[in-house]
Amino acid sequence: MTKTGWAWVWFGFLLALDIAIPWFALTHVEKMSGAFLFWTIWVVLAIISAFVIFLRWKEARR
Amino acid sequence: MSITFWVWFGIAVYIAAGLAIALMARRGLGRGMSEFFLANRKVGGFVSALTYSATTYSAFMMIGLAGLTYLGGVGALGFELTYLCGMFMMVFFLPRFWLVGKKYGYVSPMELLSDRYQSKWVGATAAILALVFLVPYGAVQLMGVGYLMNGISQGAIPVVAGIIIAVLCAIAWSNIAGMRSVAWTDAFQALVMIVTSAAVLGVVVVALGGFGSFFSRLESATPGLLTVPTAGGVWNINMFIGLALPWLFFLISNPQVSQRLFIPKSVTAMKQMLGGFLIFGFIYTLISVLWGFGATLLVPGLENADLATPTLLALPIIPMGLAVIVMIGITAAAISTIDSILLTLSSVWARDIHKGLINPRVSEKRELKIGQWVIPIMAIIAFVFAWWAAGKTGLSFMIAPLSSAASAGLLMAVPAIFGAFFWKRATAPGAIVSCIVGAIVVLIFQLTGWKPLGWWPGTWGFIVCAILFVGVSLATKPPKKKADEFIGYLKQKLDKGNFI
Repeated sequence: MTKTGWAWVWFGFLLALDIAIPWFALTHVEKMSGAFLFWTIWVVLAIISAFVIFLRWKEARR
Repeated sequence: MSITFWVWFGIAVYIAAGLAIALMARRGLGRGMSEFFLANRKVGGFVSALTYSATTYSAFMMIGLAGLTYLGGVGALGFELTYLCGMFMMVFFLPRFWLVGKKYGYVSPMELLSDRYQSKWVGATAAILALVFLVPYGAVQLMGVGYLMNGISQGAIPVVAGIIIAVLCAIAWSNIAGMRSVAWTDAFQALVMIVTSAAVLGVVVVALGGFGSFFSRLESATPGLLTVPTAGGVWNINMFIGLALPWLFFLISNPQVSQRLFIPKSVTAMKQMLGGFLIFGFIYTLISVLWGFGATLLVPGLENADLATPTLLALPIIPMGLAVIVMIGITAAAISTIDSILLTLSSVWARDIHKGLINPRVSEKRELKIGQWVIPIMAIIAFVFAWWAAGKTGLSFMIAPLSSAASAGLLMAVPAIFGAFFWKRATAPGAIVSCIVGAIVVLIFQLTGWKPLGWWPGTWGFIVCAILFVGVSLATKPPKKKADEFIGYLKQKLDKGNFI
């Protein structure tokens, strides 16, 4: 699979976690260490992934 | 001096500062559509990041999202962070928009669609979609300013006065020097937004005994707000998906933000824009949600959750000076969004409706004039909508759901945008039919309140739209030559720039 394909798969995986963890696995955790902490860490992971990809961008030589 | 006096004084200072910045921006203004609407594609990374942030984050955050947190708890955080996660897609779309924007000279995202699909009707359809659905979104910003001034002045300043001030500022900022004045004032306003909101959150957290005590009190006083589905029944998974789906694709569905993908001056500026925005968005989202949680502890029992922020700011624990500065920060957030919407809609009207459909031979000078005239007209329409909606109560008229409802309509352009970049088989009839039928489905479901299976209008509209886009495209003839050229050019440039 191409790098672009892997990036889409990773993004899809992140979205699956977005629903699966807070809506099913953490339903009864009524604490800040539940859905609040999950979503915070989850989005940091998404942001870091984006940084890893776009920091490799370079100006095209003319 | 009363708080009302200081509110007026603060607003006067804000308007003076904004005008000064906008007029300074005008000094570098050149001629032509690209110059007025895109600052000639020469915006640096720092300003690009801040104008993207200020355009994206609006009154919605510190009023709407805080209100939704106040009402329904942590689901609001998940909903907003789903948007931020969706920004991961910028690694695909930012370089693509930027590269083709430079090569083909597109002024609006709709012009890109018209050219790629070789049909002016595709751009016109997407333009009409934007004109219809961005008005409520613009109106939401105006409502935010109205609520805020009304709340902080404890009712002394009518909601409509705040709405009028926001309208006039937005018209001025966008008309003075187009994207230049909007981007510069946005940059200034974004800094004001984040610094002031962080400061006032700090005051609230200290008043609640620090973060540890704040979180303990939340867990003991409102445990139901820390999980989804919410114990009080506000958040369920259908509502979450219904609100989050339009937000997920906000970066390409909302033309006022996707138009900004054309403006960075270099690859370095693009990287700074994206990185700066992601950091800004993360911090600002946490601040807004924690602020909403703070309100649940300090001002419980409000009938209208959108008033949580103004009510909290009016508490004696917030120094009056800080409350006024924060109010200016939120006002700035609202105005920086609506002026961008006005600017984009005016470019869309001039380029994709007037030049695209009505008079293809119009001169660039005349086209620009038409765009500038459209700015106040759109502002008046948004004003009327805001005035009407501000008098209503209930979940549908809260700022966050209303914003997301507007984005649900714009979501219908998403399959066509994906197809433009990734699917050579995509066709103009597929794009047009999917946009129109999807938007009709959204409007009907929105207006009737009908939610089959409990799914929200945007969810249904998107499903119908995506199926139609693929089905009609497969049944019709694609613009093969253009598709090969467009996607082929991108492939070559993406490889050279190490993009994916």
